[in-house]
Amino acid sequence: MRTHNPLLFVAKRLALLIPQLIGISVVTFLFLHLLPGNPAYLIAGNLATPDEVRAIEHHLGLDKPLFVQYIIYVGNVLHGDLGQSWLSGNAVLTDLLQRVPATIELVSIALIVIAVVGVLLGVMIAVNPRGLVARAVFGYGLLAGALPDFWIGLILIFILYYKLRLFPPPLGQLDLGVTAPRTITGMYLIDSLLTANWRAFGSSLRHLILPEMTLIFVYMGLVVRMAASSMQSALHADYIRTARASGLRPWRVTWQALRNALPPVLTVLGISYAYLLGGAVLVETIFAWGGIGQYAVQAVTNSDYLAIEGFVLTAAVFTMLVYLLVDIGHFFLDPRVHV
Amino acid sequence: MDVPQAGPALGDLEAPEGPHHSALGAPGRWLWREATSLLAYGRRRPRFLVGLFITILSAVLAVIGPLVVPYPPTTATVDVLRPPSLTHLMGTDPTGMDIFSRVLAAVQIDLSVAVSGTFLSFVAGVVLGAAAGYWSGTGGVPLVLSEGLLRIMDMIQSFPVFIFALALVSLSGPSAQNVVLAIAFVNLPIFLRLTRAAVLATREQLYIEAARGVGLADRRILLRHIIPNSIEPALVNASVTVGGAILLTSGLSFIGAGIRPPTPEWGSIIATGSQYMITGQWWIGVFPGLALSLSVFGFALVGDGLREYLDPTKRHAFAVRATRDQQARMTKEPRGVVPM
Repeated sequence: MRTHNPLLFVAKRLALLIPQLIGISVVTFLFLHLLPGNPAYLIAGNLATPDEVRAIEHHLGLDKPLFVQYIIYVGNVLHGDLGQSWLSGNAVLTDLLQRVPATIELVSIALIVIAVVGVLLGVMIAVNPRGLVARAVFGYGLLAGALPDFWIGLILIFILYYKLRLFPPPLGQLDLGVTAPRTITGMYLIDSLLTANWRAFGSSLRHLILPEMTLIFVYMGLVVRMAASSMQSALHADYIRTARASGLRPWRVTWQALRNALPPVLTVLGISYAYLLGGAVLVETIFAWGGIGQYAVQAVTNSDYLAIEGFVLTAAVFTMLVYLLVDIGHFFLDPRVHV
Repeated sequence: MDVPQAGPALGDLEAPEGPHHSALGAPGRWLWREATSLLAYGRRRPRFLVGLFITILSAVLAVIGPLVVPYPPTTATVDVLRPPSLTHLMGTDPTGMDIFSRVLAAVQIDLSVAVSGTFLSFVAGVVLGAAAGYWSGTGGVPLVLSEGLLRIMDMIQSFPVFIFALALVSLSGPSAQNVVLAIAFVNLPIFLRLTRAAVLATREQLYIEAARGVGLADRRILLRHIIPNSIEPALVNASVTVGGAILLTSGLSFIGAGIRPPTPEWGSIIATGSQYMITGQWWIGVFPGLALSLSVFGFALVGDGLREYLDPTKRHAFAVRATRDQQARMTKEPRGVVPM
C-alpha cells in the first residue's frame, strides 16, 4: 500500500539507521587495523609503560579473533567509550563533546547563508539566464571550484585582517579578555544572545565572519548551480505555462516553480553540509577555532590514533543524521514520496 | 567521408568502423581525426583551449620542472624571508629556500600523485563497474557480488571525502604512496557507478547479443566490446578528478597528513606560509596557492569541455565531428561488431 503517512515514513527511515550504523562501525573498526605493526604501541604513544600497552591490548582485545574484536569495539562505542587521547589525557568522547558545538555553529551558519543566498541566486539565474547575475555566478563557479578553502582563508586573513584591520586576528572564537558566555548550547553566538552578554556576542560575531566567508565562498557554487538548473526545468514545466496562461502574477508563478524546484536543492544542501564539515577541518586549523576539526588535525600531527578514530566516527554519524533529515525533508516537500 | 587519408581498402566490403575499433587497426588515423575535431570544437569554446594549454603546460613542467629551477628547491640558505625581487621572483621562505623554485618543482609531485591516484581509481572503477553492470540482474553469485560491491561503495560515499582521505592517510602513515591510495579509494565509487550505468545501456545493444551469439567468452565480450563502448563517462570524469585530487593532496599536506616538507608540495609550502600571513610575509603562501588553483582550473576546464564535446544532446550545436560517426552514435548503430 502506498501512503503518504509521515509517522510511518519517519519510522521506516529511522529503521534504516541500523544497517547504516553497522556499516559505519565496520568501516571505522577496519580503519584501526590499517595501523602498521601493533596498534597498542602506536596508540599508547612513545612514553607508555609496558603495563599501559598491555591495558590497551586488552581493551581492544588484540589477542582475540577479528570478529570478537569487532564485537568488543562496538560494545565500547555503545558505552560511549572511544578510548583515551594520549595527547590531552582525557576520554576522546569528553574532548569531542566539548568541541562539537563550536564546529556545528561554524558549519551551520555557513549552511544557512548558502541555502538562502544560493537559492536566491539560482532563482535569479533561472529567471534571466543571460543576465548579469548569471554571467557573474558562472565565473564565480569556475573559480570557486579551483580555489582551495585553506588558501582562500589565508588570503582573507592577509587582506582583511593584516592590511585593513577590519576583523580580529585568526586566533579563536573570542577576543582575548572576553570571557566565554555561560554554557547553554556551547555555541558562543547563541549562548551570548540567550544570556544577553553583548560583549561576548559582538566578539563572537566578528570572529565568525572571516571563517564563514571562506566556507561560503568555496561551498556555495554547488548549491547555486543545482538551484539554477532545477528552477530552470521547473519554469519550463507545463503547469507553469498553465499558471502563466491563467494570468497569475509573475511572482506567484515563480513561487510555484520554486516549491517544485526545491527537492533536488535540498539533497545538494545535505551533501554540502557534509562537505562543510570536511572543509571545517582546514578552516578551523587556520583560524585556531578550537572545534573538532582542529582537534582532528592536532590528533593527526601527534599520531593520536584513538582521537582520529573518534573524529571519523563523529563525522560519519553527523553525515548519516544529515541525510536522514534530507530524506524527511523530501517527504514533506514532495507529496509524491510514499512510504 | 571526412577522413582524407582513409584508404580505398577500407571500402564497402567491411562493416562500418567505430572509433574504438578503428583505433585498434589504425591508431594514428583515429587520433588524428579525434584531435582535429577536438580542436575545431576548441575554436568555438576558447575556454577549452585555455584549459588545454594549462594542462599541457603543467604536464611539461611536471617533467622538466626540477631541471629548470633557478635554485635547488630543498636546500636551506641564509637568504631567509626575502620578499619577491629579481633574484628571487617569489621571495624566499623562513629557511631561505627560493619559493619560485619550490613552486615549480612541486608541479611534479602534485601532478604525479594526483594523476596516479586518478589512474588507479579509473582502472579499478572501470573494471569493477563493467563487471558489476554486466552481471547485474543475472542472479546467482555474480549478482550477489555486484550488489555487495555497490553497497560497499555506498558506505565509502557516505563519508565526507576529505575526512575519509584524512583518516586513511593519517592511520596508514603520511606518505606520497598513501595519498595516492587514498585518492584512488575515495574516487572509486564515482568511476564505478559511471561505468556501471554506461554498461547497463551497452549490454542491451544488438552487437553484444551478436558477440554472445557467436560464442565469445564473457571476458572477451567485456574487454573488447563492452568496456571500449562504455568508457566515455569515466574518461570525462578523469580530468575533473585530477583537479580534485590535486586539491585533496594539497589539503592533506597542508595539515601535515600528506607529503612532508622539505619535499616541495604546494599545500605544504602554503602551510609554511600560513603562520607568516599575519605578520605580512604574504609571498610564501600566496604563490603556491596561485599555481595550485591555476592547474586545478585548467583540469576543470578541460573536463567541462570534454563533457560538452561528448554530450550527444549538445553535440548538435557543435557539428564538428564526422557526420557518419555522429549518426552512428545517435542511432546507436552497432559499432562493436568485429568481423570474425
